[in-house]
Amino acid sequence: MAERVVAFGEAALLIELDGRIDPDLAARAAAIADGWERLGHGPAVPTYAAVLVRYDPLLVDPAAAEASARELLRARAAPPAGRVLEVPTRYDGADLEEVARLSGLSVPELVAAHTSREHYAYFLGFAPGFAYCGGLDPRIVAPRLASPRTRVPAGAVAVADGQTAVYPRGSPGGWRLIGTTDLVVFDLARDPPALIRPGDRVRFVAQ
Amino acid sequence: MSVLRILEAGLRSTVQDRGRWGHLREAIPAAGPADPGAFEAAQRLVGNTAEDAAIEIVGLPFRFTLEAPRLIAATGREVRVRGRGVVGGWTAVFARAGEEIAVEGTARTRFAYLAVSGGIDVAPLLGSRATYLPALIGPLPRVLAPGDALPLGAPRAGADRAGGSLPRAEPNGRVLAMRGPHADRFAEGSFFGRRFRVSASSDRVGLRLEGARLERSGGEILSIGVAPGAVQVPHGGEPIVLLADAQTTGGYPVIANVIGPDLGTVAQAAPGEELSFYEVDRAAALEARRAERRWLEASER
Repeated sequence: MAERVVAFGEAALLIELDGRIDPDLAARAAAIADGWERLGHGPAVPTYAAVLVRYDPLLVDPAAAEASARELLRARAAPPAGRVLEVPTRYDGADLEEVARLSGLSVPELVAAHTSREHYAYFLGFAPGFAYCGGLDPRIVAPRLASPRTRVPAGAVAVADGQTAVYPRGSPGGWRLIGTTDLVVFDLARDPPALIRPGDRVRFVAQ
Repeated sequence: MSVLRILEAGLRSTVQDRGRWGHLREAIPAAGPADPGAFEAAQRLVGNTAEDAAIEIVGLPFRFTLEAPRLIAATGREVRVRGRGVVGGWTAVFARAGEEIAVEGTARTRFAYLAVSGGIDVAPLLGSRATYLPALIGPLPRVLAPGDALPLGAPRAGADRAGGSLPRAEPNGRVLAMRGPHADRFAEGSFFGRRFRVSASSDRVGLRLEGARLERSGGEILSIGVAPGAVQVPHGGEPIVLLADAQTTGGYPVIANVIGPDLGTVAQAAPGEELSFYEVDRAAALEARRAERRWLEASER
């Protein structure tokens, strides 16, 4: 997929880097978002391999905004320096045994697979503080639920389609629940409220 | 500090400013008014700016009193203000201290805005006074209720501005939109020019459209950042126009983006009404934006 900059309405541009999930692409998207926000035109939202950038077209000429976006595509900014975050987890999720069965693993093998590696935080989306973390052990088979739960509790540790995440607050959700953490990943009393940031590496530790 | 006392709060009324745009990367939606044009018109009529906070009312009537006299204005579809007499919406009214005032509407009213000169003066949370109800984010993170006493800022305009008006044409079901990044995944004519019916399950997150299922080609897309006005097509094929409370990212193809000035037409469409979308290019979208700005700035002349 070729890189492109396309209009997203008259007050935003979508910068697409690729159609793949890859830490290097996500890091580049985050760096482009940082660069856009430094220009002061408006906020940016990086995802796996794209960045949505907003601007006020009555203040910034759209052609100039597009030129700025293409300039940021050319610049190879350094990716953000991530931290390693440990998430103490009780493996007691409602779908734990089902995920083990789908994966052809015993429950202890599933827990070992989930705790044995660092998961890269690609971006935050879906709900405040929800970090999409990739690099799941490929043996873990966990398609999204056909019909999402109406309520997933805060702190639920979940897996779906090669990714893992912690639900920051009670919300609907379609990922499969394998555990629970008491770590508060979203707290409005903190600034920033979200604990996990793009570029961080998340390690789950069995309690 | 002067206060606004709520006697009757409507169904789902909240404090809103222009939105919390500084935390999108933490997946905190901007929230803010569902109909930004109506919100800003109300604010300008009372001498405020869009940075100030007003009340978004869902489910009229909304009744209140003010501790001290103030310039107020209500906007929205078919709204009126009842005090000593009845004044139409989109008009500044000078309310007396203690006078009982009601913002009223009709069955077609969706989102009404009540602005008070000086704004609702609650301390901003994460840079904004907007309320995001799905995750209870905001300085007043709940639905307003009878008995609430909301603090007001120092008035910015007085009785001499009473009677000022900023009328807006009633929506006619025509919505302008630009082609979205995934428009080429859908057959020409599958969205633009077609009539859709507004679903009863629409809310501040999005307006759901019924009446045609759009067939797409190509595989899944990776999640991208989205924004109010984006027209997503989920697996069922019935489009959703994202509004103020939409998530910051989405994994469905975006066939179109409603232009900013027409977001109000979308947000204010009542269930069962019809909307048709017409394709415009960026130049036409910008011209509509300039026209909206001229309309809003007319309050200052």
